Amino acid sequence: MSTPPVAVVGVGQTHHKSRRLDVSFGGLVREAVFRALDDAQMSLDDIDAVVLGKAPDLFEGVMKPELYLSDALGAVGKPMFRVHTAGSVGGTTAIVAASHVQAGKHRTVLAVAFEKQSEGNAQFALGSGKGASLGAGGAFAPFIRAYIQRSGAPEHIGWKVAVKDRLNALKNPYAHLKIEDISIEKVKASPMMWEPTRFLESCPSSDGACAVVITDEAGAKAAAADGRPPAWILASSSRSEPSSFPGRDPVRPAAALQCAADVYTGAGITDPRRQIDTAELYVPFSWLEPIWLEAFGLAEVGEGWKLVDDGTTELGGSLPVNASGGVLSSNPIGASGLLRFAEAANQVRGAAGEHQVDGAKVAIGMAYGANNQYFSTWAVGSSLQPFG
Amino acid sequence: MTRFIESTITFPYKRSLGPVVGAFMTALTEKQILGIRCQDAVLVPPMEWDPATGAELPHEFVEVGPAGTVESWTWVGTPSIQHPLDHSFAFAFIRLDGATTPLLHAVDAGTPQAMSEGMRVAPRWRGSREGRIDDIICFVRGEAAETEGEDTGGATDPVTRMDYLASITYRNPVPEAADRATEASREHRLLGLRCPTCGRVYAGGRGLCPVDAIELGPECEVDLPHTGTITNFAIVTPVQYPGQTETEPFVRAFVLLDGTDVIIPYSVVIELPADQVKVGLRVDAVWASPAEETEEGGGMGGSWGSLLGWIPNGEPDIDDPDLVNRIF
Ligand SMILES: [Zn+2]
Repeated sequence: MSTPPVAVVGVGQTHHKSRRLDVSFGGLVREAVFRALDDAQMSLDDIDAVVLGKAPDLFEGVMKPELYLSDALGAVGKPMFRVHTAGSVGGTTAIVAASHVQAGKHRTVLAVAFEKQSEGNAQFALGSGKGASLGAGGAFAPFIRAYIQRSGAPEHIGWKVAVKDRLNALKNPYAHLKIEDISIEKVKASPMMWEPTRFLESCPSSDGACAVVITDEAGAKAAAADGRPPAWILASSSRSEPSSFPGRDPVRPAAALQCAADVYTGAGITDPRRQIDTAELYVPFSWLEPIWLEAFGLAEVGEGWKLVDDGTTELGGSLPVNASGGVLSSNPIGASGLLRFAEAANQVRGAAGEHQVDGAKVAIGMAYGANNQYFSTWAVGSSLQPFG
Repeated sequence: MTRFIESTITFPYKRSLGPVVGAFMTALTEKQILGIRCQDAVLVPPMEWDPATGAELPHEFVEVGPAGTVESWTWVGTPSIQHPLDHSFAFAFIRLDGATTPLLHAVDAGTPQAMSEGMRVAPRWRGSREGRIDDIICFVRGEAAETEGEDTGGATDPVTRMDYLASITYRNPVPEAADRATEASREHRLLGLRCPTCGRVYAGGRGLCPVDAIELGPECEVDLPHTGTITNFAIVTPVQYPGQTETEPFVRAFVLLDGTDVIIPYSVVIELPADQVKVGLRVDAVWASPAEETEEGGGMGGSWGSLLGWIPNGEPDIDDPDLVNRIF
């Protein structure tokens, strides 16, 4: 089914930090929103509807913050929606916003996502408010162990991803972690948290927000004519699967494979490894990079780690992954997915600054959530026919 | 008859107030109530932006009150623990003198008959104030503010953050399958439910097959073996948070039951130090003795009931490269 062309014409984010004690929720999201509006050369008046995403309410203990934030986001008298898909929520928020424009219901929609982790505790929230929370690191460690054993990957792969993403973060003014002296030795020496995942192979806890302005073909073409390249949304997809059943494979979840296939079909991508110039994958723990490279068809099964090992996924490589520094460098949970989508958009707009991938024409942004259960992905292009 | 379990979740959240609400809270410690100018109006409590347009408001604060007029009210006859007063009171919209918008607060009026629209009220301040809306205990009839207890004065530093102790108590229905699994565990039986469509077996009182989206009733019950193999595990370094029960690294293991396709997930291990847990280790179920029974069940929690966890049984390890993939 073909949908009318729509595009990203504005991207904004906060400087992500451990604690933004100087701002309220509203103040935090507005920093991202006004950067996105400025980027799109728009004002709140140009926005027809707002879609907001964040992690479950237990993270900050505010019920339905989308309602409380409606006046901060200038959504009074406009449609306002909240999206809930755990860690993938930021990505799904972008997809829901794009869907409203594709459906012709609204011309310009603002997608906003945020988390203010300093107000609560992620381990508490992930443990449903009980003691002995596994946390995300504990939940994913068994998946990582399974990947390592079946692929035969050497242990330094996780360390390499951790170093690569932190080096990339040094080129991103908005990134949270800035570890100037990051090195394999430093990662290796950091405490073991959830064997085999070490402290420096894990994402930080961040306060931050991201916003994206999505508009219709006419709006995107007007931006392009004005010298502000849009990121055309070539295809998007969300897929989910049950949390557990005998035989479920969390390393190659069916929902991930379906999500990838759906996006590639929609975007006309037949050879993802060659046709995609850069990817922003949701990698909160270093080993998720090779896992998702394989599940999303960017590497053969069992070979994702080799793209890490030979430098393919570094900023200078032939398939840079998380040029922004990724979730390993900034993790305002609810916003992390939207940041992947926004960074992918900026890459094909040529707007990624110091972490720009030279000549990027096609990029994917991907987010996942819960027990490797929810997947959201979009493919964006510098033009509607990037493959000629 | 559906049985319910009551649970309470409590967490001490912290609120960053931002420059406007922070100024309002700081003023409360000084027994002042601030509004903010928004075009021709004075908004109380102050907002960071124009609620109609979303435009940023200049930080032009206006002191209002302390007295005001009740515009509307409702009576709270039976207060809960979370209400501001421990006896019946009114929630009222009070338009403080000089304000355009009403402030929602409690009025301690004794009886609903004492309440009326147009009634004049003034704040009763807490003697010791920390920059919270309940620095005003409530409003009382009259024009003059009063202070309860010894006045310890205003805050020495600007108030930027607020403690917010959130608590919610909720009741969850316990599915019949979960209750039957718990009852079976009392007899040291490990109950499974076999899906008639796909043949998958679910343990732990999960009365449905998520693959086929069908309910699994008592006719699907099978007894499961008490011996199995650890396929995978997590060693969790506990991060401290309010309500955390762990201080040392702890293990959660996945146990594949002998002769079945059933994984018992996130299992507690017994007499197995974290540095000795491994894939392929053989284990036996450990059941609570009647003396160890608690209402919450054994160490596994939930409908696992009397199943405390799993203990190494001394049999040789299983060497199978596919074991590690069996997490679910
Ligand atoms: Zn079934």
